[in-house]
Amino acid sequence: MLVAGAAVVFIILVSFALAALARFIAKSTGATQTKQANTFAGYLFAAPWIVGFLIFVVVPMAFSLYWSFTDYRVTANAAPNVIGFDNYTRLLFNDSGFRASIVNTLFLTVVGLPVQIAVALFLAVLLNQKTRGERIFRMAFYLPVILGFNTAVLLCWRLMLNTGTGIINQLIRALSAAFPPFGYLNRAVIFVVEIVNAFFLGISNGKFSLLIKVWEAGFPAANRVPLWVQSPLWSKMSVVFLMAWGCGAMMLIFLAGLNNIPKELHEAAEVDGANGWRRFWMISLPLLTPYIFYNLVIGLISSLQIFEPIYVLYRDNQPLVSSTISMVYYLWQASFSHFEIGYGSAISWLIFVMILVITAIQFKIQDRWVTYDLY
Amino acid sequence: MRTISPVVARTALYVFLISATILMSFPLFWMISSSLKTLEEANSPGIVWVSEHPTSAAYTDILQNGNFLRTYFNTIFYTVLALAGTLLSVAAVAYAFSRVEWPGRNLVFFLMLSTMLIPAQALIVPQYIFFHKLGWIGTFNPIIIPGYFAGGAAMIFLLRQAMAQIPKELDESALMDGASHIQIWWNIILPLCKAPLATVATFLFVATWNNLLGPIIYLQTVDLYTLPVFVANLYNINSAVQPWPTIMTAAVLTTVPLMVVFFFAQRFILESVVVSGLKG
Repeated sequence: MLVAGAAVVFIILVSFALAALARFIAKSTGATQTKQANTFAGYLFAAPWIVGFLIFVVVPMAFSLYWSFTDYRVTANAAPNVIGFDNYTRLLFNDSGFRASIVNTLFLTVVGLPVQIAVALFLAVLLNQKTRGERIFRMAFYLPVILGFNTAVLLCWRLMLNTGTGIINQLIRALSAAFPPFGYLNRAVIFVVEIVNAFFLGISNGKFSLLIKVWEAGFPAANRVPLWVQSPLWSKMSVVFLMAWGCGAMMLIFLAGLNNIPKELHEAAEVDGANGWRRFWMISLPLLTPYIFYNLVIGLISSLQIFEPIYVLYRDNQPLVSSTISMVYYLWQASFSHFEIGYGSAISWLIFVMILVITAIQFKIQDRWVTYDLY
Repeated sequence: MRTISPVVARTALYVFLISATILMSFPLFWMISSSLKTLEEANSPGIVWVSEHPTSAAYTDILQNGNFLRTYFNTIFYTVLALAGTLLSVAAVAYAFSRVEWPGRNLVFFLMLSTMLIPAQALIVPQYIFFHKLGWIGTFNPIIIPGYFAGGAAMIFLLRQAMAQIPKELDESALMDGASHIQIWWNIILPLCKAPLATVATFLFVATWNNLLGPIIYLQTVDLYTLPVFVANLYNINSAVQPWPTIMTAAVLTTVPLMVVFFFAQRFILESVVVSGLKG
């Protein structure tokens, strides 16, 4: 409470100081009276962010860049020794945990994001049909974003995903027994999911024996249920499940995109005899590509940062952690279990560089598929 | 070309919408339903949709649990403090980016947008050391104070977009009448931005209330735990039978404030604001 008050006073004082400094500089460069006043006001109001950016972003990043080349540990009272690129080479070549976190992020990007975006798009198209009770549907679809990654809700998922007694598997069992085609579908899906997951696990630990085992068991899989929170072959799928459930924010963005499509385009196509399905592929989808792009960029950054689901679903099940760990979770584990600050700093910088590179690539290749103007 | 009759299409649409609604809200139903079950029902191998012997024992137990109440109070205390300061500072910075012309504005604005690419968690290691040096580990400060420096570029951006749409003449005439920028900000701009402010407040509230990583790193003592940490610890790794009714009761009580806030704020979030925020 006291500190919060002190922080407020500090921010106000610094803001006025910064604004006065800016006005002084403007004055000495011979700006007009209005311009001086505007400079003062602009810096006064922007100062909290500028100061915060320096204290909480620039300075920490500079320090962590330096520490990433040292063996600094917070528990040891010794001064950090510069060890060159050792942290980075250890990370890139000798750290199976970090490699697993990269592969898992790749999985979430290649498998999870498309699922999430497809569900969001599907729901947005449904909502865009202007139905009765649209508001209630929207609320229901957006609510998971609010509840989203709250531990309480994640624990409820854990209860529902329980292999033996969870409601999801109970329903799968009941439906499989009642309708044989559903049972067959379930076995086919299990086979596909396990093959894909065994492949990704193979990449992350270099051993493909599991993949061969799943393949030899044959298609479709035996009559059983998914092992959501129990098997490394399924742990990532549970996260994909959660991503699809929480697609409401993406859905809102697609809804905005659908609203921005001129009505005349659809009307003209309808006159030409195009049905709804065709109009979706030829008009809506191309015009939605900028929104898909936006969702991809944001979705990718957030998939690197997934933390809560792994903490709540798998933290106590160490063998599973490596099959689902995200980069940020790995960062937390590495930095705060051994307090190896130098190593943790190297991870932070690698994550940061990767995000920059991936985002740059995405922006680079966007003009191959993103349509900003259809006609 | 085959045409589908409009009645069939319309019915199919409603079937899809209603089943999607049921699927999306199912976890919520299950949470409430499980909190009222007996321990045997919650762990039973068969499907128990709704308890046959509903009991509120878990609720009376947890409401008498001093730890839970203290945790609840902690969460409210820290959320309110963090929210107030963050909202005010974000509103101030958004004003600077939308209503005032000052040298360097475009550069600072660009810098601010590019911070959206930095995952906040990539900064936790150096920030931890910084707070450690300040002696703030084991207090709420590290999860409250950074927000006071207009934490959250996306929130600033959203508010800036809304403020930029207000006609310029309003503050020009006020300036003529001798009003200061602070007066214009407080008396003219903020009252006109109630809906976007409510949206930003909701997003900030949700993010603070759900925050797990910050509290586990910085709080460290049971006395200071917030709800997400407390609830996560209710799941007892070592016991064979999980006390699901108790866990789900805590879960329901944790999510109630989120639902209440969402219920009142949903019309602001779901309409126009997000749309206009994206167009810029």
